[in-house]
Amino acid sequence: MPRIPFSVIIKAQRENNLLPILLKECRTIDSARNELRWLRERAVRDSQSLPSKAGWRSRLRSMCRMRSRGYPLQYILGDQPFGDLEILCRRGVLIPRPETESYTYQAANLVRQMALGHNDKSKSPNQARPLRVIDLCTGTGCIPLLLHALLCPHFQELEITGVDISPTALDLARENLEHNLQLGQLAPRAGTDIHFYRADVLGHNSDNSVPSIESMLQTQHPNLGALDISSPDQESECDLLISNPPYISQTDFRNGTTARSVRRFEPKLALVPPYLGSGMEDCMPEDIFYHRILTLALKLKAKLTVLECGDSHQANRVVALHKRLASAESGQSRAEVWPSREQDLADNGFHETDGSRGVIIRTLR
Amino acid sequence: MLVKSICRNILRPRLGLKLSPLRGVHTASDYALSPALLSRARLLADEHTKLAERLGESFDAKTAKRAGELAPVANILKEWVHANDSIVELKSLLNDPDTDSELRSLATEDLESSRDTLPTISDRLKKALIPRHPFADLPCLLEIRPGAGGDEAGLFAFEMLRMYVAFCSRRGLRPTILKQDTEVGASDDRLIEAVIEIEANGAYDILRTESGVHRVQRVPATETKGRTHTSAVSVMVLPSFPEDGSEMDSAMNFEDPSSDYYIDPQEVRVEKMRAGGAGGQHVNKTESAIRLTHIPTHTVVSMQDERSQQANRRKAWQMLRAKLAEARQEAREQELMQLRRGILGGVAKMGRGDKIRTYNFGQSRCTDHRTGITVHNLDGILDGGDGLDTVMDSVRAWIADREVEAMVAEDMANAKSK
Repeated sequence: MPRIPFSVIIKAQRENNLLPILLKECRTIDSARNELRWLRERAVRDSQSLPSKAGWRSRLRSMCRMRSRGYPLQYILGDQPFGDLEILCRRGVLIPRPETESYTYQAANLVRQMALGHNDKSKSPNQARPLRVIDLCTGTGCIPLLLHALLCPHFQELEITGVDISPTALDLARENLEHNLQLGQLAPRAGTDIHFYRADVLGHNSDNSVPSIESMLQTQHPNLGALDISSPDQESECDLLISNPPYISQTDFRNGTTARSVRRFEPKLALVPPYLGSGMEDCMPEDIFYHRILTLALKLKAKLTVLECGDSHQANRVVALHKRLASAESGQSRAEVWPSREQDLADNGFHETDGSRGVIIRTLR
Repeated sequence: MLVKSICRNILRPRLGLKLSPLRGVHTASDYALSPALLSRARLLADEHTKLAERLGESFDAKTAKRAGELAPVANILKEWVHANDSIVELKSLLNDPDTDSELRSLATEDLESSRDTLPTISDRLKKALIPRHPFADLPCLLEIRPGAGGDEAGLFAFEMLRMYVAFCSRRGLRPTILKQDTEVGASDDRLIEAVIEIEANGAYDILRTESGVHRVQRVPATETKGRTHTSAVSVMVLPSFPEDGSEMDSAMNFEDPSSDYYIDPQEVRVEKMRAGGAGGQHVNKTESAIRLTHIPTHTVVSMQDERSQQANRRKAWQMLRAKLAEARQEAREQELMQLRRGILGGVAKMGRGDKIRTYNFGQSRCTDHRTGITVHNLDGILDGGDGLDTVMDSVRAWIADREVEAMVAEDMANAKSK
């Protein structure tokens, strides 16, 4: 991490004595100013609503101290905007990232295009059953909730399922559903359209305390059939399979690639895939979730699969992995890294080479 | 306004009964309405009559709209004609030697009151004739930036922000601060830039008197030797368009390529934060800044106040639309001004670069340089109080007078060329 120039610290100090404290984590004076304003607004609001001995100034000071130790702003303030939603954030659950927001918007766009394309051919399979979306490793539930907000005006019937292994995350996801319903950011039908279930995507639990994703889906959606690869005639029962799974390698978690704040305060469960030992020889340890999800996508005959990856290398590995797994299948599909065109990169605020990338897989018919 | 009406009373000829019958009705109203304005009013009233007839036969939204716009002119002209007619009638009654004395005294009284109402009617007619500003009905954005004067300009800019927020709240206009870049000081805040959104319809018309450079003269808090400094703060009032352009009629719809205010999205470069290094789960950045650049005009808008990128994006677009619309309107006015300059020989036009007002703390006064009005309750003005209304009203009247002058000049030139 580059050192902050002394002149900047002096300037910050002259402006407000809390700014240098925030500068430790924020790194730029603009960012520190913004965070100071957001924290101040919250401190003033809290001191008005909550009966407290301490005034807002001392509250603000302690908030700034927490922040300077790397404690995430979203855990201090308790929420993070995601699209037009307000997602509650709490220790133990990953904070939604702006990239995830971009992937979610893009997924919603593609689902709409797909539905329009079908209507053009005057056969609309979406009439028979609701549009079905499954989000794996849902965390705060930000993806299912935003997808509902975006798709709700265009689809009569929606069935969105969020899956996570963490009971803390599931509690928060349900709370977020309720919270955004109350804010009026979600249509009332979201209450019945969206469901959160506990399941293990990796399915490696030896004691079976958590159901595997397959058995969970079969219990909740008996009409998903036997998830049988051997019946090629079976109609697709899933329109969108989306996931932001843990994807950081053990090395990247420790070597400084992962920010101190993330490493110390966000749940490792949501960041680094567990080491499964043998049995997954054909992919790198940080890619094991993709292996499982791609296999599931093939079983479900998901029409669209959207996966968040750590960087373009990982995204390319996922595309290759998909090709390998799908080669045994009869159906055709197209996998691509997104965003990769210059315009898409710029429009979504992605760096030309660095940062996260997504993988989008479309089943062709 | 007060000054104006006093002047008018002094200037008004005390004609009374001694008025010579030969001079007739026109004399009584000459000082108020030029023939050019009167003929323009008649023209519009005729159009209104025709439109009303057509509407009687079949309804058509466009015709109805135009008729609605013309109705005030037609009605006020009717009042004006009626007042003049009654003056003529009363005078002939008075000049008639057969009128008995009781009737005569009644007629004298009526004549007086008719004469008194005539200037007000003329004034209203003048106002009704002035074409409405294209943005008059819109909500507005008010942008405040410190100019020359360093820290002191930033401090005063912050006080002006408070002044306008207080003014809008007092007038029930619901101000929201869209953007506030401040250097957060320990005691006083220095503004770098602020934008207030005033959502009430017609807010543009109320606040457009405020566009320009405001000057402050005082001993700043930062001054140790007691010297008076002069600093400047620039204020820009911009029209605020609804998010969905189709809510506007086609001339104002910025989504309609045929509209004057159309913005081609292809010409706008959108930049979000594009940090290098690791992204996604590896880091947790809180920046949500958006920057928009309109490439043909190099207009740049950046917004980072909100934690939500979506909200920053919406606000940035709103600002960009407002800035481009104002710039285009400004360009059009400039063109008109060029046309008129030949006729009037130099029109007083206050652009956004001109110094329009001085706040002098030593003398506790606020002087507007357009109207020359001075109000001595500076504290009240800075609290957004009545004094500010007085100043703004005087400027509004001044703007209206300039517009009438320009219109008369134009009509005269048109008449000459015919």
